[in-house]
Amino acid sequence: MKREDFLGTPVVHMEIQPKMTVNQLIQQFDNSGSFGAGRLASACDIFEHMARDKECTVFLAVAGAVVPAGLRTTISDLIREGLIDALVSTGANMVHDLIEALGGHHYKGHWFVDDYLLYKYHIYRIYDIFVPEEDFVKADEALIEMFDEIAAEKEGSTLSTNELMREVGMRLKDSKSIVRSAYESNVPIFLPAMRDSEFAYIHRVHTVRNKEGRGLAINAFQEVPEIIKIMEQSERLGMVVLGGGVPRNSVQHAALMTGKGLDYVVIITTDRPEPGGLSGSTIEETISWGKVKRKADKTMVISDSLIAFPLMVAAVVERLGKDFHRKGKP
Amino acid sequence: MKNVANTRKRFCGNCRYHNTYDYPDQVFCFVKFQKLGNPVVSTLDHCEQWEFKPQECFCLEDTMKKNKKKT
Repeated sequence: MKREDFLGTPVVHMEIQPKMTVNQLIQQFDNSGSFGAGRLASACDIFEHMARDKECTVFLAVAGAVVPAGLRTTISDLIREGLIDALVSTGANMVHDLIEALGGHHYKGHWFVDDYLLYKYHIYRIYDIFVPEEDFVKADEALIEMFDEIAAEKEGSTLSTNELMREVGMRLKDSKSIVRSAYESNVPIFLPAMRDSEFAYIHRVHTVRNKEGRGLAINAFQEVPEIIKIMEQSERLGMVVLGGGVPRNSVQHAALMTGKGLDYVVIITTDRPEPGGLSGSTIEETISWGKVKRKADKTMVISDSLIAFPLMVAAVVERLGKDFHRKGKP
Repeated sequence: MKNVANTRKRFCGNCRYHNTYDYPDQVFCFVKFQKLGNPVVSTLDHCEQWEFKPQECFCLEDTMKKNKKKT
């Protein structure tokens, strides 16, 4: 490269106007092209490309408590609008979806609080969100009853996490629920770390109540061929990651197993690569494994996903317009 | 502050199986639930499976305060 090749695109300073739309603000970020603003603008472009690519299957991988924090309806709407073809999540996020679907709530709290006082009032804290224990208990009760019913209907057959989520979604009424929206939209939900959540306790109590061997059998490995099948049937693969962890690797590892690699990647995280954890690993590192294609359309936004993700979704939904309809996916 | 839950009085509110259900009046008994019985019981009830555990919570204290106000 020659010297002038490095100096071809000047920074255009952001012009902030009253009544700007989100997409107009993102365009200003793009004009700057710098730091987190530049990466978020790239993320919007990549997510738009995924949405417009009718041959692409879009996986949303979610870790971190974004559902209790306020992204529940956003994710549910994305599923209903067909902008997500498969959801891979921590078990906990779906538990928090179900807490609300079954009548419970999450409350605005504060991070600076006497946690022992919360303990004495049976209130759990997720950074600055408060959850009353009774809402957990009521969801546990309802879900254990649901597990009993599903086990009786399935008569000992083994389910994958996706099949279980479909059964649960079928039994919900809350149209805002992620699990219900996924059921109605035929979008699979995979929970690769399901037992690391309240589902473990729910399953434990359900099993104790059903000592005659009628307990629900869930096979964590059964979802692997299910994800691979979806990927094998897809021309191109896209992944949007909030946080990272087990959900991120479940998607990218399946992309490796199919021998395809991902074509579009947006990762929103605050994690760093130096400690060696997966959530902070760079996309380039992922390329070395063959999980992401070398020429993939990709970016990593270093941000709280509760800030960057709604901005990205709002900008892309604005770009796509009301009349945009994405082809149905598995 | 005196912790009522630390007394050995037989109340579901100081039983080891207690979770809160409708704070502070009702608690959820997972032993009853596992035995397919009605798990939602009054904080001030108890049964033969009662097993003392100081909960450190305010359930008993707050229920008693509420009851006192009513009377």
